[in-house]
Amino acid sequence: MASWTSGVRAVLLDVSGVLYDSGGPTGGTAIPGSIEAISRIRQVGLKLRFCTNESQATRAQFVRKLQKFGFNISEDEVTAPGPAARRLMLEQGLRPHLLVHDDLLPEFDSIDKSDPNCVVIGDAAENFSYQNVNRAFQVLLGLEKPVLISLGKGRYYKETDGLMLDVGAYMKALEYACDITAEVVGKPAKNFFLSALAELGVQPHEAVMVGDDVVNDIGGAQSCGIRGVLVRTGKYRPSDESHPEVKADGYVDNLAQAVDILLASRTTDQ
Amino acid sequence: MAARRALKAVLVDLSGTLHIEDIAIPGAQEALKRLRSAPVTIRFVTNTTKECKRTLLERLRRLQFDIREDEIFTSLTAARNLLELKNVRPMLLVDNSALPDFEGIATDSPNAVLIGLAPEHFNYQRMNQAFRLVLDGAPIIAIHKARYYKKKDGLALGPGPFVTALEYATDTKATVVGKPAKTFFLEALRGTGCCPEEAVMIGDDCRDDIGGAQDTGMLGILVKTGKYRAGDEAKINPAPHLTCASFPEAVDHILKNLL
Repeated sequence: MASWTSGVRAVLLDVSGVLYDSGGPTGGTAIPGSIEAISRIRQVGLKLRFCTNESQATRAQFVRKLQKFGFNISEDEVTAPGPAARRLMLEQGLRPHLLVHDDLLPEFDSIDKSDPNCVVIGDAAENFSYQNVNRAFQVLLGLEKPVLISLGKGRYYKETDGLMLDVGAYMKALEYACDITAEVVGKPAKNFFLSALAELGVQPHEAVMVGDDVVNDIGGAQSCGIRGVLVRTGKYRPSDESHPEVKADGYVDNLAQAVDILLASRTTDQ
Repeated sequence: MAARRALKAVLVDLSGTLHIEDIAIPGAQEALKRLRSAPVTIRFVTNTTKECKRTLLERLRRLQFDIREDEIFTSLTAARNLLELKNVRPMLLVDNSALPDFEGIATDSPNAVLIGLAPEHFNYQRMNQAFRLVLDGAPIIAIHKARYYKKKDGLALGPGPFVTALEYATDTKATVVGKPAKTFFLEALRGTGCCPEEAVMIGDDCRDDIGGAQDTGMLGILVKTGKYRAGDEAKINPAPHLTCASFPEAVDHILKNLL
């Protein structure tokens, strides 16, 4: 029987590819059963937090979009790299050159961006033109000690019409060009998971992470002692189940099935 | 490593070593003449991903360099050779000006990705097309993986970072046909009758020109022109045979010490 359910008090959920698939004219579609799955998690009193690497929009915009799809979710339940990077700028006196999606810019409205001393790269999508990547490269080369901060390092994600290159690809491009290593804010960084747990007041062994990214969701969570369950939705590919480095604690068809298993185990436990 | 022998061949990089865009490195034409007076075979080897041989030759002649077309060996030639050998239909992610070197290669329903420096193609949409092909099993063939190159107004990204992006996203490795690939240097020597231990490479890219050549058994001379940045010579081990100010000094060293 699935051991990933025992002693679970909190559920961390990846969003894109678990709750919904992005893309298309409406900005995406909910994955069947996921809206109800969220409600069921809440009904049984499990703690819940959304852990996303979404950086194509501010956290507020992102949450509004999910609410429109019918999800019961509020902004203060979401751990996202944009606000985390913003905090980092303030704590370390960093002035970013931003290579991000236009819709993420408001997250950095109050941050001094003059005479930049670091580059922040997010999932910039259409903004990943040669000119924009080159500009970020030139800023980095102009710094005595180049600092590159990446909002996640995903390889790709799924939109309704296919897989799309994610920020990690362009982070690697800049790392290679400048011979540097980026600092990742977001999954799979340990701090990111730990800050989500701190918000819930639970220990790593009391939580389970559900995601569609075997490396960043599952591997990242496991490196902090959180169990990881891979869904076969979103960017999932069958080869993910034979990944050379990461073995999930459980594999499920979708979030609805994960919740079925979790709730069933609670009934038998009691 | 095989013992060194008397020098018989000199490989010379073009951009950054003999010229930067349309300006010759001072004294480079005269230095090439001096080199020609020595009993060595000369090959011009370049990692261009943009310019077909004809264009290269026209520019060099305009800059008063005495060079023949059959002395030039480029990464585009090496790429075409590999495409034909593998019998694949490439998506050509290369600058339009490079297309003449790929005439006659079928590109319909592509099952490979050929990638060179192509700023106008390195937009998100085209990169995604290439990414999806590779994820479906198409091999990546990189003309070269240079990190950046020197333009008149500063350094600019080369194709390497974009190759790296596709490699990372798809968890695959590209086949690199240009410098610093060993096969590139060996192909360039083919027809000269020389082995690597009888050759020296002069270039401005420490890793790709010098490191690559030295890995095959050649000597490498790094010049501090073009894309050279202070401290570059420390980027490879063993260090360059010599690091000097520019091509004319490299030629003087060869004439004085290596013949």
